[in-house]
Amino acid sequence: MSFREKSAWISLISILLVSVFFFLHVPWSLRPSTSPELVHALLVCAIALVVIEGVAHLVVARRAPLDARAPKDERERLIDLKAVRASHYVYLAGSLASVSTLHIGANGVAIGYGVLLAFVVAGVVNNAAKIVYHRRGV
Amino acid sequence: MAKTPIANTIRRLRFDADEMTQQQLAERIGVTRQTVNAIELGKYSPSLEVAFRIAAVFEVPLEQVFSYHGEDPSKR
Repeated sequence: MSFREKSAWISLISILLVSVFFFLHVPWSLRPSTSPELVHALLVCAIALVVIEGVAHLVVARRAPLDARAPKDERERLIDLKAVRASHYVYLAGSLASVSTLHIGANGVAIGYGVLLAFVVAGVVNNAAKIVYHRRGV
Repeated sequence: MAKTPIANTIRRLRFDADEMTQQQLAERIGVTRQTVNAIELGKYSPSLEVAFRIAAVFEVPLEQVFSYHGEDPSKR
C-alpha cells in the first residue's frame, strides 16, 4: 500500500473517530444557549483531529521516508482531483440542505450542526474516494 | 472500475531489459512504483508524456509499448 493510500486511510479513520465522538457528545438541545458548548467541543475535536492525524502520519512516514517525501505524480494528482470533485458535490448539497431548513423554522445552531455534518461527510467521501481510486484504478 | 482500453507490453519489456524492476522504471520516468504497477495492470492510462518516456526508456517506438483495444471511433 502506498503512502498516499495509507494517508487517506488515516484521514478517513481519524475523521470518523472524531466526528462520531463529537456528534455523540455535543448537547442535543439545539437552543442558542448551547453555542459556547458547541464551540468548545468543536475546538477540542479539531485539536484531537490534528494530533491524531499528525502522529499517525509521522509513524507511517518514518516507516517509508522516501515514499512519504516523493512528490505526487500525475496519477495521484488525478486521484486527488476526482476525490475533491466527489466530495465537493456532497458538501454543496449538504450545506444547501442545511441552510434551506431555515424556511421550516430551524435555528442557527441546528443549521450549524447541519453544515458541520455536511463538512464531515464530504471529508469521509473525499478520503473514501481516494482509497477506491487507488485500489480499483482511475 | 473497468480496465482501460489501452493494452501494454511493459511487463515483457521490463523482463527483456534485464528484469528491470517497477521501482527502477518508475524512477526513470518520474512517477511512483504504484503508478507503474497501475499502468501495467491496465488500471490507469498514462499521459502522452509519460507514455513517451516509457518508450524512450526501452528504446522502442510508442506503438510497441501501447496498443488501443477499444471501440473503433469511426464505427460510431
